[in-house]
Amino acid sequence: MSEYAIEVENLVKVYHSGRRNEVRAVNGMSFRVPRGEIFGLLGPNGAGKTTILKMLNTLIHSTGGRARVLGYDVSQQPLEVRQRITVVIQETAVEMFLDARDNLLTFARFHGLHAVEARRRADVVMERFNLHSEANKKVQDLSGGYRRRVQVAKAFMVDTPVVFLDEFSTGMDPILKRAVMGYLREEASRGRTIILTTQVLSEAEELCDDILIMNKGREVARGDLHTLKLLSHGVYEVTITFEELPAAIEAYLASLEPVRMEIHQTTIEVALKAEEARVLELVAELAKKGRVLRVEISGASLEDIFVELMENK
Amino acid sequence: MAAISAILYREGKIRATNYTFLFWDLFYPLGYLLVFGVGVNEAMGGAFPSGPVDYNSFFLAGVLGMASFGIAANTSWTFFLDRDNGIFYEMLTYPMTRAEYLLGKVLFNIGIALFQAALTVALAAALLDVRIRWDLLPLLTLAVVIGTAGWFYFYAIFALKIRRNDIFNTVTSIFYFAFLFASSMFYPLEPLPAWFRWTALANPITWQVDVLRYASIGIGSPLQIVWEAAAFLLFTLGSFAYAVRSLDQQE
Repeated sequence: MSEYAIEVENLVKVYHSGRRNEVRAVNGMSFRVPRGEIFGLLGPNGAGKTTILKMLNTLIHSTGGRARVLGYDVSQQPLEVRQRITVVIQETAVEMFLDARDNLLTFARFHGLHAVEARRRADVVMERFNLHSEANKKVQDLSGGYRRRVQVAKAFMVDTPVVFLDEFSTGMDPILKRAVMGYLREEASRGRTIILTTQVLSEAEELCDDILIMNKGREVARGDLHTLKLLSHGVYEVTITFEELPAAIEAYLASLEPVRMEIHQTTIEVALKAEEARVLELVAELAKKGRVLRVEISGASLEDIFVELMENK
Repeated sequence: MAAISAILYREGKIRATNYTFLFWDLFYPLGYLLVFGVGVNEAMGGAFPSGPVDYNSFFLAGVLGMASFGIAANTSWTFFLDRDNGIFYEMLTYPMTRAEYLLGKVLFNIGIALFQAALTVALAAALLDVRIRWDLLPLLTLAVVIGTAGWFYFYAIFALKIRRNDIFNTVTSIFYFAFLFASSMFYPLEPLPAWFRWTALANPITWQVDVLRYASIGIGSPLQIVWEAAAFLLFTLGSFAYAVRSLDQQE
């Protein structure tokens, strides 16, 4: 049995639109994911994250290369792969005409769970996802957020060793999202491998043991958060809260050519790429522009690294 | 086997939430027999010029064929529904082969078709005095089973290939017109012009209806029935293979 949950070698996917147009959505990707890890695929829209997930979960065929899930080839042994995975696709996927409980029970039935065990688990999962009050309503009568809840809840009905989540937190409120992140960590600690894509970088920062950043179908960077931060080549994140926002501060900050800049009420957040001493000088200059209530200087966040990598590529 | 049982469970649960499907599947073709069939039969004064039986008896096989055709069209339309709900793509990641997925769906349809056929045959015998060949009941059952499967797989190809609901609806409307009227469903082929007769003989509905007619009331040439049954079986197997391929190529 393979020690890796996922093995991808030189994977290629080309989409054809019309006779001449072809799009290389995935262009020679290779990576491995050890078992029990939470692995994040990050990238801007159209980077190829979802396409990789679709190939790994046997929804589409690759154009070239190989991919294995728990040692099973996704092209040659799709059934063996499907028997070991649970997938939360990017689009909402629910049985609209069934109620929340029946959605969970039907899903469990497809995965071969005994009826008694399925009912027991459905109770636990509905409790965790706060679905009890909606248990007997048809899903078509639930809000978009609740539908997504039902969809993600299904992943916790079974114990497949690999779970794929494609932007799972879309449409989820922050409290539930935090809870689900906790559940995912629990599942990983029990040995399940979680493969997720996200555009919410704080989510990946908090959740993932290993991150692969991709763009235009290729790998841009790979590693844990610490390793990725080393790639940032001296990016510092400065947060200053003023009593009152100084006049023309936005123009001044823009003149510093920051990696990223945000202003929320009287707080500025700016990511600067400069030597440490120069950053301290700039902070001192900024502090002269108004009465400062709080200053914070930290290393680059995943978002800064991501923005910098995307701009460089 | 577990996958097929799960599909049957799912289809049953969903069908139970929509009684209009039940009406369409069970009673719509029956309405044809009891309204259209009786109307034509009476209009002809009970005398059907081109055969040894009355129109009610002749039309029974047409109604059974129409039911298979209608059930298949309805069920293949649920691919669109599932696609709109996203569940279609999630289901393709469930632990089952593409063939099991289609097989599960068709078994559910066959269940409905058999129930509908039993109801239609019983009412035809009881109310319209159609003389059923009960000794050929196993053949009739087989013809309903294979007929329903063949049309479902055929329609599934288009439902899986076509992405727009409105285009699919247009295609099914054309199919209804072309397949049903250019066949032996409503009238015998013998008095028709040669071009019409040859077109109808190339139509799988004719093959299925002729077998159903032989199996229900015993009219037709046994040799021709064997050929038509074999042709329909090939049509079913070919449609199945192509439907599985279409499902496998979903992107």
